[in-house]
Amino acid sequence: MDGGIAVLGQVAFWGLYSGCIYILLATGLNLIFGVMKVVNFAHGEFLMLGTYITFFFFVISGFNPYLLLFLSIPILIGAGIIVERLCFRPILGTGKLNEIFISLGLIYIFQNGVAMVFTDEWRSMKSPFADLTIGIGPIQLPLDYIIIVVITAIILVGLSVFLDRTTTGKAIRASSQNRKGAMLMGINVERMDMLTFGIGAGLAGAAGTLWAVSGQVFNPYMGSVPAIKGFAIIILGGLGSIPGAIIGGLAIGMVENFTAFFLGGSWKDAISFILLIVVLLVRPTGLFGEAGE
Amino acid sequence: MRTDCIIYTILGLLLIALLLGAGCTQTPSATGPSEIKIGVVASMTGPASTTGKDIWQSAELAANEINAKGGVPVRELGRSLPVRLIQGDDESTREGGMKAVTKLITQDEVNVLVGGYSSAVVSAHQSIVADNKVPYIISGASSSAVSRRTDLDTSYMFFHRPNTDDSAEASIQFLTDVFRPAINEKFGFSNDRKLRVAVIYQDSPFGKGQLDAVKALIPAKNLPIEIVAEEPFKMGESDFRTVLTSVRAKNPDVIYAVTFLNELVPMTQQARRDVGLNTVIMAIENNDDPDYYSGVGVYGDGMIMESRFSPYAVPAGSTEAATRKFLSDFDKKYGGFAGMMGAATYESVYVAAAAIEQAGSLDRAKIRDALATIRVPQMMEIMKNGTISFSPEFRESKFELYVVQLAMDQKSGEPRPVIVWPESLKAGEFSIPDWYTPGSP
Amino acid sequence: MNLAQVRTPKNLLAAAILILALALPFLVGQNLYLLTVLVLMLIFIIYSSAWNFLTFSGQGSLGHAAFLGLGGYAASLATVRLGLPPLLTLVLGGLFSAFIGILIGITCVRLREWFLAMVTFGFAVIIQTLVVSQLAPVTGGWDGFAVQKIVPTTIPGYLVLEYYVVFLIAVLVLVLFYLLLRSRIGLALAAIRENETEARAAGINPVPFKLFAFGLSAFVSGIAGGLEIFHFGYITPEIFGIDLSFWPIIYSITGGLGTLAGPVIGTIVVTLLWDGLNVLGLTYGRFIIIGVLLVLIIIFLPRGLVSLPEEIGKKWGRKGK
Repeated sequence: MDGGIAVLGQVAFWGLYSGCIYILLATGLNLIFGVMKVVNFAHGEFLMLGTYITFFFFVISGFNPYLLLFLSIPILIGAGIIVERLCFRPILGTGKLNEIFISLGLIYIFQNGVAMVFTDEWRSMKSPFADLTIGIGPIQLPLDYIIIVVITAIILVGLSVFLDRTTTGKAIRASSQNRKGAMLMGINVERMDMLTFGIGAGLAGAAGTLWAVSGQVFNPYMGSVPAIKGFAIIILGGLGSIPGAIIGGLAIGMVENFTAFFLGGSWKDAISFILLIVVLLVRPTGLFGEAGE
Repeated sequence: MRTDCIIYTILGLLLIALLLGAGCTQTPSATGPSEIKIGVVASMTGPASTTGKDIWQSAELAANEINAKGGVPVRELGRSLPVRLIQGDDESTREGGMKAVTKLITQDEVNVLVGGYSSAVVSAHQSIVADNKVPYIISGASSSAVSRRTDLDTSYMFFHRPNTDDSAEASIQFLTDVFRPAINEKFGFSNDRKLRVAVIYQDSPFGKGQLDAVKALIPAKNLPIEIVAEEPFKMGESDFRTVLTSVRAKNPDVIYAVTFLNELVPMTQQARRDVGLNTVIMAIENNDDPDYYSGVGVYGDGMIMESRFSPYAVPAGSTEAATRKFLSDFDKKYGGFAGMMGAATYESVYVAAAAIEQAGSLDRAKIRDALATIRVPQMMEIMKNGTISFSPEFRESKFELYVVQLAMDQKSGEPRPVIVWPESLKAGEFSIPDWYTPGSP
Repeated sequence: MNLAQVRTPKNLLAAAILILALALPFLVGQNLYLLTVLVLMLIFIIYSSAWNFLTFSGQGSLGHAAFLGLGGYAASLATVRLGLPPLLTLVLGGLFSAFIGILIGITCVRLREWFLAMVTFGFAVIIQTLVVSQLAPVTGGWDGFAVQKIVPTTIPGYLVLEYYVVFLIAVLVLVLFYLLLRSRIGLALAAIRENETEARAAGINPVPFKLFAFGLSAFVSGIAGGLEIFHFGYITPEIFGIDLSFWPIIYSITGGLGTLAGPVIGTIVVTLLWDGLNVLGLTYGRFIIIGVLLVLIIIFLPRGLVSLPEEIGKKWGRKGK
């Protein structure tokens, strides 16, 4: 019999693993929010598109699904740019509620567009490593999950290098810190908007590939709940703060799994919102949010 | 100002025209009925649309067959009438169901209704059916709360499906009669050791209904079974690792899983692969679908399932030919596999036709009376006493349910079901898989 | 007020719709289908108007089904357990919903739009979870329970009576909102919506006004919820569904946010469009059309369909000259 610690350790790892998806979503949302001060509630649809792109190309090509990251990310960057240009740019600055409502429209369009092509049946696919596990101490961990955690880390490191070291990255950060100032410095802020929105969507696409590879099932409506949680995470972690998104993502992943363990699975969705409301009661700007924002 | 006035008037008139147009779509013909109108309540849109399409297409198949044989003879009119199906899309919502059923009853003036899937949706339009006294053969809504309502007159509603108690009873019976003795023998447990069952259920009317039925059954029949865990999960969940980890800590002998197919596939994989839970999962009838077998793959080996309509395990006997024909006709016409709900709706259309023939009339009350006493020979699904008939009290038909066990099939690389219970239908013996470890003694 | 002022085209149209709505049962006779469609439409007009009232205070909600459901559950429980008549329990349901609404409002008044949207969305999820788990002994869990109808079904032609009851309540609600918006409260709400800081500077404390808007919106939503349940005769937790939170938003935006007529026009137009597209056999396509409509309206017609005549008028006027 393995002891209680091992069981808790295992639950913690499931939390870490599901946290990865949330982190990718929340980081993207936060990046977009930082630059545009816009929240895209339809962000989960990019996650869903990512799973379907992975699924479609996996079925027709049979490539190792992890390689399909190089496909899902660029396609979604493109999709993000188009959505920004067509839907969000025209309403920028016309009121916060409008952004929320336009996202509703986008959710309907994406979900049902995909359902028209692929039907709304649940799908799943199988990773080539599906049957391999690695033992760490008393815990047996599937290889796929370890790869997923590693890939998430690589993507995050890559993103921070991009933001810190490259000229474009610096321009994005500048637009995020002071939009007017960046404009005055000759940065094309509108281009930065499109680019950031694209990168945010790309991160969601990566999350989609990882979702599908890990053997989780998906259908056209699967994106909404993770996206809403992603948004709860950035509120917890502070709007615009990328480290906050990472910590918040991990926290929600853990809390959800421990709640399912102790309280039962029906509380899995509700718990993130309870946490959110409690945090907002104490700090209306979120845990790490700047008061002025 | 002037233009404004004109525009508003035009808009107003348009609105009125639209409103009236929506209602007055057809005028009844004066020359007596030329067809039998059957309303099919199916979720053509919304989350239940996959099942909804299955229901509609199977009903179409039945209607086409009946019409190809010359329709249904109606004594009162002295001639046979063809069947026309009218679709009522409930949109998987209560509001949609209410509208669709009201339209079928009052606009299309159907003679009989068939279909109905989600218990919640059906419960919202039952009152309309009761008020208008339209015979309704419901092939879904397995919750007994729906079929045993006392606040309204359900005498026009007939339920052609096993209710939650029926399917729970079959599964639990199998666990008591076959599963428990088998592990007691193999692992040398004493005869008074109770079987340790963990229930993992979808947090929904469907899941909760099954759980309640199982929990009521054990004390009622004084069965040697102990429920060691009750774990709910959200509908559509795909990550069961934590729930399974928690179940494993309770050392169950068997997991009773009340799930949809999209949930059972990841649950089975995660139980065996991720969590290392070497326990048999007992699933229920709605999962007996080709997608389950292809999805679950090697991890399905040795698992068991209660069923009434199976793609691969067709019980030998009188129903075999009809089932094979139905499956191949469906595949030819629509491509793919017709599921359990499709089969039940197909049968319901035939039952409706038989009732009209027996009543010799299109009068709704006479059709109802015919349904109350009807005895149609079983068609595809195996019925108690070999006939489809409705119980006097709640008008529910009684199914002969069976249990299958999955075994890997080398040719397809997928597991395939074999009927292992009851005695009268079985094609193989239940066996405890090699990898199986029982719960604590 | 002189007569010329009263006889504006808008008022005339409103009067025409009113008379038409009153006479409708006579026009359609005992057409149950049309009556059902109309009753549901009226219930949603009440519900959407309640949702829309919240936006007058600059707040928004993504989880208004919580209040619809709370009202529905409170009203039907009071009817079933205490044996009170539905017309009374409707109000009780509304009050209960308003009470919870104000509690949520207290959490929300300090929050900005995005946070508010999240908290309200989350609240609906939490309430539904509670109703089916911990509160199941009272609420019947997922099974729900049966309730009587607002007008006993034993009365012949009860649906016509039901239609008039719902119609009367809809008119009362709209008149109430109309009067409120023309009063000082309405002015204060508008000031808060336009610029909260300036409103503060002008001596308006936004908190009580925002709470009032939240409470009233929840109250009316609760009544709509009670009406819906008394129309169905059965309550289940599906009443907290996300789609029921989203419909009033779609109706109000299509009709025109922040206008009294918006939710009314929006509900009528979208419902007819929705049912019309269903007749055409569109399934997923319907949602796509609604989605595209929503996006286009937000971008090109931000004040909704009610501003359409004005916009067209502007174009015409310009071309005419």
